[in-house]
Amino acid sequence: MKEPSVSEQTIVHEVTLDCAPLSTREINQQLKALAAEGLQTINILNPAGRHNLAVGVTEPVKIQFQGPVGSYCGGLAENVNLEIFGACGWSLGENLMLGDILVHGHASSNAGASAHGGTIRILGNAGPRAGISLKGATLLVTGNVGYGAAFMMQQGCLIVCGNVGPNLADSIYDGSIFVGGAVDSLGADARFEPLSEADWNLLTRELAAVGLVAQDYDFKKVVCAKELYHFKAKDWAKWKDAY
Amino acid sequence: MERRVLKTSSTFSPEAIDAIQERAKLGRYMIRGYGALRNVPRFDDLLFLTASLTRLPLEGYREKCTTKIVLGTRHAKRPMELEIPITIAGMSFGALSRNAKVGLGKAATLLGTSTTTGDGGMLADEREASTKLVYQCLPSRYGFNPRDLKKADAIEIVIGQGAKPGGGGLLLGQKVNQVVAGMRTLPEGVDQRSPCRHPDWIGPDDLRIKIEELREATDWEIPIYVKMGATRVKDDVKLAVKSGADVIVLDGMEGGTAATQSIFQEHSGIPTLPALVQAVEALQEIGVYGQVQLVISGGIRSGPDVAKALALGADAVSIGTASLIAMGCNKPIYLEDYQKLGTEPHHCHHCHTGLCPVGIATQDEALMERLPIEQATIHVANYLQALVMEVQSLARACGKSDVHNLEREDLVALTLEASAMAKLPLAGTDFIMGR
Repeated sequence: MKEPSVSEQTIVHEVTLDCAPLSTREINQQLKALAAEGLQTINILNPAGRHNLAVGVTEPVKIQFQGPVGSYCGGLAENVNLEIFGACGWSLGENLMLGDILVHGHASSNAGASAHGGTIRILGNAGPRAGISLKGATLLVTGNVGYGAAFMMQQGCLIVCGNVGPNLADSIYDGSIFVGGAVDSLGADARFEPLSEADWNLLTRELAAVGLVAQDYDFKKVVCAKELYHFKAKDWAKWKDAY
Repeated sequence: MERRVLKTSSTFSPEAIDAIQERAKLGRYMIRGYGALRNVPRFDDLLFLTASLTRLPLEGYREKCTTKIVLGTRHAKRPMELEIPITIAGMSFGALSRNAKVGLGKAATLLGTSTTTGDGGMLADEREASTKLVYQCLPSRYGFNPRDLKKADAIEIVIGQGAKPGGGGLLLGQKVNQVVAGMRTLPEGVDQRSPCRHPDWIGPDDLRIKIEELREATDWEIPIYVKMGATRVKDDVKLAVKSGADVIVLDGMEGGTAATQSIFQEHSGIPTLPALVQAVEALQEIGVYGQVQLVISGGIRSGPDVAKALALGADAVSIGTASLIAMGCNKPIYLEDYQKLGTEPHHCHHCHTGLCPVGIATQDEALMERLPIEQATIHVANYLQALVMEVQSLARACGKSDVHNLEREDLVALTLEASAMAKLPLAGTDFIMGR
């Protein structure tokens, strides 16, 4: 039997799925089944802003959405590689454990909420609360983000090339935040810190992945001040707005 | 010597004076474990009208009286089938020791019922010990991950807790050891806050999408509970149902916690008794009573408490603090360790310190050794069994061959408050307060 050529092998490993006639349940069932069969790339047509696409997928697979997606795209996923050609709804990549998400567009609120691992790159703006409760993932936003970004962030890295809204990193526990534009205000227990060489190396690497140059930005670093780690409220000035 | 009667101010009682002076010393609010210490109308204020001439009783402990219940029948392919209508409430590993969590799991398994994880994720030993495990999805999402999600038998989205509705949670640094910190992705020893809001959704319309996400991630296999602290019960229950909940778990203000501001415990939420009545009415008003199951919790201690909850319309109850007491919480042993905490057995609510004298609410290895898993298992299993026997006894005496056949008509109220809250006639009268 003749061995398949390289191009034939590629065709075997790619599938196109049209969302239009399918329910969300059917789409996700097919995505999981195709990923379990070892399909390398799944091309999704007509996602049409539908919520909960590619949720809970844990097999290593590349999924490309040809259009906008709704809330929770890539939520509770692991090992996935998602590429979205359009805007995203709320909670993109929520609780992502491992994998990559690349958005060619804007993302709404809570992007990367509670994501444990992997990398989420948004080539546009993100709404409020980007990187909220971040637990180890890297979230890169090439545009601006809204208020409350990195609220109660625990670990990981938030990189914003543009401006950030009020109360950045409020009640943060740990992790690093880099802002290339203006910071409206910091939240409780957050502080600025000078960038180290290692920080610039990280920024250079992360921005190069989306075709940007770190040195073109005036990056500021925000970390946890660790002054509210322990519940000693004698210093009223620190605590009155914090708890 | 002239005898003088010392007068006590009702406004500035000894407790109020202590509280003022404690605040003056600390410069902050007080934090403690357990639930409300104040007295509230409760199931004790109701009585059963067991059978006599107008009703035929069943024989005390011989005639069949079934106890099974299925939760989450609305959407899940694999609803939660329980042998008894008593479940173990969510309590975190972190707040509780490993031995306590495993003991609860083993005891629940022996009785054919479920136990529940808690903040901080799923402990592998707890999963192994529990044949039916409810996985909590809390605002903190500490330790929450799709791998454990797929091992769960049900999901419980926690909106709030009866001891502190709207208040989030605390785990003080003395309990955040290396293991607990690792599970929660937190710095070791930090005083940890559990947020009061979820990170990825805000209102009921978002919750509907969140519930769909969890269903998609678990292939619609397992039921989704929504747990709330009892405040605006009618609206909250209706919104949770509209959002897609299979099961409502409602926690009254008598519910416990490992640590919170005492002002929440004493001054927020409503008692379990009126919360249950309002929840049943809410489900009936939107026509889903029986389709969406109701689990009630908060201060459940005895078989009569369980039986009264079922008679008022709950499908099951959930117990937390009482199961810990069954294990040995507040037991008069290791007296010197209670005294070091400035308390005594039967009065201890020092779960937040991490220095639990009986090894339950601690991460200290030496203290934990005081609670052998086998002993914890047997005591909780015995307690659950006793509760079930008590419920069956009352049900049989009311002529019911299934504990879920207990009904409102079997109850009367002993106080005007209970009459008003439960909307039941005052004992020996036709009078219902407020009607």
